[in-house]
Amino acid sequence: MDFTLFSTLVINGLAMGVIYAMLAMGLILLIRAVGILNFAQGDLLMFGAFISSSLILDFELPLFIMIPLALLSFCIVGLIFMFAIYWPLRKASYPAATIIATMGASIVLKEVATFIWGALPRSLSPILTDEAGKAAILYIGSVPLQWQYVLIIVVGSILIFLIFMLFEKLYVGKMMQAACQDAYAANLLGVPTIVTIAATYMIVSVLASVGGYLVAPIFMVRNTLGTLQLRAFAGVVIGGFGNIKGAIVGSILVGLIEVFSTVSFSGYKDVTVFLLLIVFLVIRPQGLFGEKIADKA
Amino acid sequence: MKYKIWIGIVALGVFIFAIPQVLEGYSMNVMNVALLFSIVAYGISIMMGMGGQLSFASVSFMGGGAYFIANVCTNRFGINMPTLPALLLTPVVFAVIAFVIGLFLFKLKGTYFTFSTIALVQVAYTFFNNYKPIFGGADGISGIPTLNLFGYKFTSYNKWFYVIVACVIIVAVLVERIRRTQLGRSLASIRDNETAALTLGVNVYMTKVIAFSIAGALAAFAGALWCMHGKFVGADMFNYANAAQFIIMAMLGGVNNTIGIVVGAILVKVLPELLRSLQAYMQLIWGIAIIVLMVFMPSGRAGLYERVREKVGSFIDKNKPGTGKEQPHETSSKA
Repeated sequence: MDFTLFSTLVINGLAMGVIYAMLAMGLILLIRAVGILNFAQGDLLMFGAFISSSLILDFELPLFIMIPLALLSFCIVGLIFMFAIYWPLRKASYPAATIIATMGASIVLKEVATFIWGALPRSLSPILTDEAGKAAILYIGSVPLQWQYVLIIVVGSILIFLIFMLFEKLYVGKMMQAACQDAYAANLLGVPTIVTIAATYMIVSVLASVGGYLVAPIFMVRNTLGTLQLRAFAGVVIGGFGNIKGAIVGSILVGLIEVFSTVSFSGYKDVTVFLLLIVFLVIRPQGLFGEKIADKA
Repeated sequence: MKYKIWIGIVALGVFIFAIPQVLEGYSMNVMNVALLFSIVAYGISIMMGMGGQLSFASVSFMGGGAYFIANVCTNRFGINMPTLPALLLTPVVFAVIAFVIGLFLFKLKGTYFTFSTIALVQVAYTFFNNYKPIFGGADGISGIPTLNLFGYKFTSYNKWFYVIVACVIIVAVLVERIRRTQLGRSLASIRDNETAALTLGVNVYMTKVIAFSIAGALAAFAGALWCMHGKFVGADMFNYANAAQFIIMAMLGGVNNTIGIVVGAILVKVLPELLRSLQAYMQLIWGIAIIVLMVFMPSGRAGLYERVREKVGSFIDKNKPGTGKEQPHETSSKA
């Protein structure tokens, strides 16, 4: 393996890892906020990709109008998602019901996307292109890197960093965390839990959907994009228990492993990622950054 | 209560008698497959309904059972077992395999256990789809012999129907039985409160592993029947989407309702065939139906009946004190 190939693979792996990390972070935020494992996370990504493709291809909006409009519609999708899937079920007596409902939501999102935009994959051109309309390429020394991958890493990392800061450092984030830990007590202290939960859902939707917009030029916009969430699940477990930092590192690891194993044994690339996951579960069930698993009584 | 059992038996008799008269060919195939799938859903019912553990792994064990039969009954490796012993051996083999896998996976709890079963499904599917020598790769394996019961060959779908119904009844009775044993009650206590179960002396870890093993055995048995029934096994059946479908099946019927499971399986498999004109919208309708179901009757269609009966029952019981019955295995969790 020469240096050019190696560095291309590293960049591709990091880019995919960042995408998985965006999904994984959303998963953890939802688990912490409402205790729900969201099986429609990948489909939110898919929906985001379709919305942005629609704004670009159907409405032909310039980038500076398209981006705020896209963000707004991602927020609305998140809100609708919350009021359809979480709100009616928040007092469900059967804990699996909420998870099954997200599985239903996954089907609905897929079918609605097929219904609106058709079953054929749509191709979206990269965000940065050269004069000929091809993907722009960044040369570092003699190593060619696709701008799209670099852009994924930069934009994704910034977004992840900002949301991490929001939750860990700002007062609003503290309020949101309080609402997660004990909704009743937080309500008594004047934290509007419905607003914080709605905000969490919107953030999660934006994270996933921006990921969708960023990967769309690579995988094309199709309704099977949702399967990316399985890698995010792997990243969450490898990283550690309900730990955002761990989930991000784990997801990036998954992205890198996936890319390198594609080169070595293409047919079995899924095996490497998920076998690693199972090995991790056996040897170190608490994940890379997790603490020893303990039960809350 | 007595008359209810008789009504049930009569209804079952009518079902067994009438279905083969009405259906044949393709529609009989759909009905058979729906019933086969209900066996897998019973495994999920043990895991999720009784134990509260969401596991996707059943579909992989189903695949394992199917490929097991496809290898030992077709002379691929010079082994050519008669079909009946092979069929009976499958659940035993996969109970052991599932037991060993369960020992590892149940080091994790709750959501993380679910993740690990998803990983298992992915790994198994990739091997089924790629490894040619054992699993036939993407082409699958065809030419699997049909079941040979003491010289009687099940050559048509209508003949198969009776075998499958018999198997479903046996499994249903078994599940209903497990619900009332120590294992079933231990599982229910784990579902409702794991810590409390632990303090009361329930071996939480082992109970879960045994439940996983039973679910795996049931799924493998269904897989073995499925591949003999269709004479073909391919990897597409055993992917993540189908794993989710089985869970939806179990939830639709009422995850703790022994009869509801069959109803759920028939709903998911047969209804789309009946409503051909709505084919394009069918998936969408399913998705919405699942969400609505979870909102209004979280323990499934049959759960609605129980809830109504509970409400009406408590109203009647107020006038007749002392008739309220306890049904501990059907309490829903508040965790």
